[in-house]
Amino acid sequence: MRGIGRLAVITIVTLVAGTATAALAQTPEPDTREAAVEQAQTEKAKSLHPYVASRAERLITEVENALVNQTTRWHPYFENAYSGGGFALGAGYLQHVSPYNVVDLRGSYSASQYKLAEAEFSAPRLFHRRGELSLIGGWRDVTGVGFYGFGSQTSLSNRANFAFEQPYGGGRLTFWPTRRLFMMRGGMDIARWSLTEPTGRAPSVQTVYTPATLPGLGAVTTYRHTEATVGFDSRVSPAYARRGGFYGVTGHDYTDHDSRFGFRQVDYEAIQHIPILRESWVISLRGIASTTWHKDGQVVPLFALPSLGGGSNLRGFSSWRFRDQHSLLLQAEWRIMVNRFFDTALFYDAGKVAARREDLDFNGLRNDYGFGARFHTPFATVFRFDVARSREGTRYVFATSPVF
Amino acid sequence: MKAMHTTRFTLSLVVATILMIASGAVSTVSPHFYRDDPIAREPESQNASSAAPSDIGQMYEMVYNLLVRPGYKPSDLRAQNVNTVDEVPDSSWFTNRVGARRLTIDEVVRGPVAGAPPDPSRWVIFREKTSGVHPGVTARDAKGDTWFLEFDPVFYPEAATGAVLMATRFFWALGYNQVESFLTTFDPKRVEFDPKATLRRPSGKRTPFTHDDLNAILEKVARRPDGTYRVVAGRLLPGKVLGNFRYEGTRPDDPNDVVPHERRRELRALRVFGAWLNLTDLKSANTLDTLVEENGRSYVKHWLQDVGSTFGMCNDLYEWDLSWEHFYQTGTSMKRLASFGFALSPWQTVNYVERPSIGKFEGERFDPRAWRPQTPTTAYMELRDDDGFWAAQRVAAFSDEMIRAIIHTGEFTDAQAEKELGDIVIQRRDKIRRTYLPAVNPIVAPRLDAGGRLTFENAAVDADVARSPRTYRASWFEFDNATGSTRALSTTTSATTTMNAPAGLPGTAGGFVAVDISTEDSEYQPWRKPVRAYFRRDPNEWKLVGFERIPDIR
Repeated sequence: MRGIGRLAVITIVTLVAGTATAALAQTPEPDTREAAVEQAQTEKAKSLHPYVASRAERLITEVENALVNQTTRWHPYFENAYSGGGFALGAGYLQHVSPYNVVDLRGSYSASQYKLAEAEFSAPRLFHRRGELSLIGGWRDVTGVGFYGFGSQTSLSNRANFAFEQPYGGGRLTFWPTRRLFMMRGGMDIARWSLTEPTGRAPSVQTVYTPATLPGLGAVTTYRHTEATVGFDSRVSPAYARRGGFYGVTGHDYTDHDSRFGFRQVDYEAIQHIPILRESWVISLRGIASTTWHKDGQVVPLFALPSLGGGSNLRGFSSWRFRDQHSLLLQAEWRIMVNRFFDTALFYDAGKVAARREDLDFNGLRNDYGFGARFHTPFATVFRFDVARSREGTRYVFATSPVF
Repeated sequence: MKAMHTTRFTLSLVVATILMIASGAVSTVSPHFYRDDPIAREPESQNASSAAPSDIGQMYEMVYNLLVRPGYKPSDLRAQNVNTVDEVPDSSWFTNRVGARRLTIDEVVRGPVAGAPPDPSRWVIFREKTSGVHPGVTARDAKGDTWFLEFDPVFYPEAATGAVLMATRFFWALGYNQVESFLTTFDPKRVEFDPKATLRRPSGKRTPFTHDDLNAILEKVARRPDGTYRVVAGRLLPGKVLGNFRYEGTRPDDPNDVVPHERRRELRALRVFGAWLNLTDLKSANTLDTLVEENGRSYVKHWLQDVGSTFGMCNDLYEWDLSWEHFYQTGTSMKRLASFGFALSPWQTVNYVERPSIGKFEGERFDPRAWRPQTPTTAYMELRDDDGFWAAQRVAAFSDEMIRAIIHTGEFTDAQAEKELGDIVIQRRDKIRRTYLPAVNPIVAPRLDAGGRLTFENAAVDADVARSPRTYRASWFEFDNATGSTRALSTTTSATTTMNAPAGLPGTAGGFVAVDISTEDSEYQPWRKPVRAYFRRDPNEWKLVGFERIPDIR
């Protein structure tokens, strides 16, 4: 059998060679250059075929179609149910319900067993492209959020954990009267906070504190939260910018259904990107202050207090490391363009929380510094990795959004 | 059983050998030069009507060109579509114009324009613009002709449209197939929507094109004080659209496309022409193949469809690195990474004088060899110095007057800007000449008269970018056209570009001589490497039939 096979191969090779040579021999030898070229074209005409893309070309084109033309509705989803949950992995399914409006069903599960399931309806082109509407509803299960006590001088060893489950739903409308620069945003949502038994090595807050020493402990609180923002935004995109800035004020009203934990909060935020050497360097600055006012006879519960610590503010500290009635955060980054898709950054963060508004000064700031790497498109940060060092150690941040 | 196998194997070998010997016995050897050499036109003998549309994924092309292509080792092979005198014959890709014949100012100003301009008294929009980075629409004018309209971005209110008008004329004069383009007016009050006009939405569906869609485009573009818009209108190309051409390989469905594109000199030369005019967006998506019919036969015509990314025009006002770096370069990235950005690149400090009609375009620090398009192509990487020389001769053939006349077609309102733009183009032209003309032995146009006097020209010296050598040397050979063998005759020298041939040249018609011409004492090392000219004795004259500047194998 092997012998017959070998014979067949040799015969085929011989015939092909012979046929080709015979064909050339039968073709009259061209006597002009033009005839020689035409002969080559005649030969090619015998074996025409459509273009066949390589496997790599087919694969990348499919990715392009999925991303640009949205031919694939499934997408990966890396957002955590709540800050501090560690690496999260999930998936989403996008469905357009009109030419621009889309519904996204998504969920994720994190290294700390945080769970998220939510649906969002987005209408990005309202009022002749002046408005964007987002309606969102979902549920999350957060298994271990740290609480270290009030103020900026708490110790890591004082960590206690709380956990909660939360159904939520609401809507947010952003309006750009002139389609750029000046923006207004309003929103309302309802969320129920049900504290549960936490997991993790740290003790439960319920074993360390009492409802008297830690407001909100053991409570089930249903908030109606309304908010309003006015701002001036000259950035190309909030998700990635090398110039421009954002200056805004947001007012919040948290109304407790049981009138125990109602409060108001105002956030002041300023971001400015200062390009140097044609944007190859950018000094990016951010300041944000949050202050709260409790309503008559009511208090701000532990889970709603302004806080610092985590991958988007004080990066050298663990998430929710500092909590109190008011907070101040100052951040500076020296961003260095490596190429069109990749930046590095040296950064410094400082901040504090305080029980009294007048204590929001530059004394006693907790700080960190570090180095970051970011992959990005012209308008969005695809992946961010920061290494931050503080007196409480070194922390690593992995994110799919900019720090600011 | 084993013996039987051996017998069959031996028998097969014998049969194969006999067939090979038999076929070899009837083969003949082609002559070195055919009687019609050098050809002036590349034949397209076959009907290409079976060619079908196929496109290139832009993401694939970018990834491939940025991440795979930089590792490509250029073949250093001579361009394959040149004729025997080292020139590019006319073809469906290229038509010899500037440098090959005398172009009048009227001709270069007219450029590719063959028909009447659009009638802008009414525009009927029926589709979005399908190519190019600047905003636009596809519309029919009052006469019913189809046009691709492109607006100026707000930040360059005349420059993008001006770039298209100028670049189509430059590239037409350089020899490429170009879109007919006109500067015209778009008045939103005179716009209608075709009932079938649609726009592709994020959902993937096409839905009716609305006034709001048009407004979304117009909000991003430069508007005149009277409420109208300056637009450039590109005429719909003739023929069936087959998609973009690639800068490597051949179209497998086009029988006439037998030269790999990376070995086409006119595609390699885009590295030089692109550097001159700053054509940064060299990707395949800016090219187009169309199937056209002529004399009852179909062939594929190849177009540089979009040359608007020229003269410093870019996608965004803040793209400073265009023309200085590819979108991604590993070495540059590593340097910036290691130095925290202190290893500066030229684009970070180069001085641009930006005006509404001039983008990021300058001539002071322009270095033709350091120029970079957004992404490299295989043809770009295959450019050899003889290709660069060929291209530089064409660039050098543009006189100051021709350049300024083409710049004037941009119809800029700022006369000073127009002058500065012309100055920059002239400055870059001169740098191209200085870079590429002396880089090889620049002997051109050799002639051998019936009396045996050899004359030639030195393109670098004539362009005033190099000093004349003290001595030219010519080595003469008798050449056998059938076998390609040579027999040395003699060597002559001269201090000028004229010298007498030695005695003993073939005197009968059909005889061939080869002459190697070099310089003996030039400061330019490449000039010592000879060019070779071949002459055939015709009844009354010597005819130049071959010329090799840098042959593949000598």
